[in-house]
Amino acid sequence: MLSRLWRLIERFFTSPKLMLLWLSGVVAGLLSVGIGALIVIECGLFNATASTPHLPAVALAAHTAFIRSVQVRARSIEPPARFTPAEVAAGFGDYDVSCVACHGGPGIARADWAGGLTPTPPYLEDAARRWRPRELYWIVGEGVKMTAMPAWGETRSNGQVWDLVAFLEALPDLTTADYARMRAASGAARPPNALPADLAADGPPYALPSHR
Amino acid sequence: MTRDQGSKLFARGLSALIASAVCAAPLCGCVQRPAPPARPSFGGDPARGAILVGRYSCGACHEMPGIEGADGLVGPPLGTFSRRTMIAGVLPNTPENLVHWLKSPQAVVPGNAMPDVGLSDPQARDVAAYLYAER
Repeated sequence: MLSRLWRLIERFFTSPKLMLLWLSGVVAGLLSVGIGALIVIECGLFNATASTPHLPAVALAAHTAFIRSVQVRARSIEPPARFTPAEVAAGFGDYDVSCVACHGGPGIARADWAGGLTPTPPYLEDAARRWRPRELYWIVGEGVKMTAMPAWGETRSNGQVWDLVAFLEALPDLTTADYARMRAASGAARPPNALPADLAADGPPYALPSHR
Repeated sequence: MTRDQGSKLFARGLSALIASAVCAAPLCGCVQRPAPPARPSFGGDPARGAILVGRYSCGACHEMPGIEGADGLVGPPLGTFSRRTMIAGVLPNTPENLVHWLKSPQAVVPGNAMPDVGLSDPQARDVAAYLYAER
């Protein structure tokens, strides 16, 4: 294998001089990329403010990287065969408390400050048409770096994350009036910051530092 | 070739070019769409409107040219909005109606999926200017 590769290299680079030239070119290229990146970082050329949008090329690269990352990593997740109305209702209860401020709902605006986030959080009316259930589960449970989307799996059980997916799957079929009716029906008070009962079954969200 | 010959050749080439352009112009006219109705200026800035459209995540539900990630299919595509006849199927497409719709879609069609996002009057005018600039 290695010797075959070497023979290929020998056939391409007809003289050692040519090979040296190519190698020095590659090294110079890598060096200039590294120095360029260092200049951008150290001189503060990257504008890290949320008030300015990403450059279109940066936005496209980051967004595509996010989509591919989700598609690849969610591949092995097995979604439930179907979601029950109870799961949809439970998911709605959580969505209306935790998600609606950033993502809005049918006929429901986001909180005014959500427009100050970069990238700005999308409305999720057709999220179920853009993503498979397992991909929604991955996005909700694991969150998205550098977007302000939290990993809800850190504070919710796997079952509760699936409930949210169940609601997102039902969302394209909900009217503004449906949403209002669900809000009226879920009047049951939810104790804020109460620990979910089945969270313990999934283990602690992250390892606590050992006490010295 | 003398300079005189060269200039004569240039003149002949130029006249041929103009002649072919004149002949081809009616052909172009056949495939061109009718011009969209002229909108009076109403104090909006399309560049500011494009920024607002991104900030308010309009692209999650609407297809909009030139806006990163604006590929939503929840509501209608907005690339040809300047040539649309009705807004939301109920209001004639005039600048003042569009500004009213953008500020309070729930007042125009109660219960529709487009929320009142809280655009101010100048902001709504900027978004309207952006929508009319796309044709």
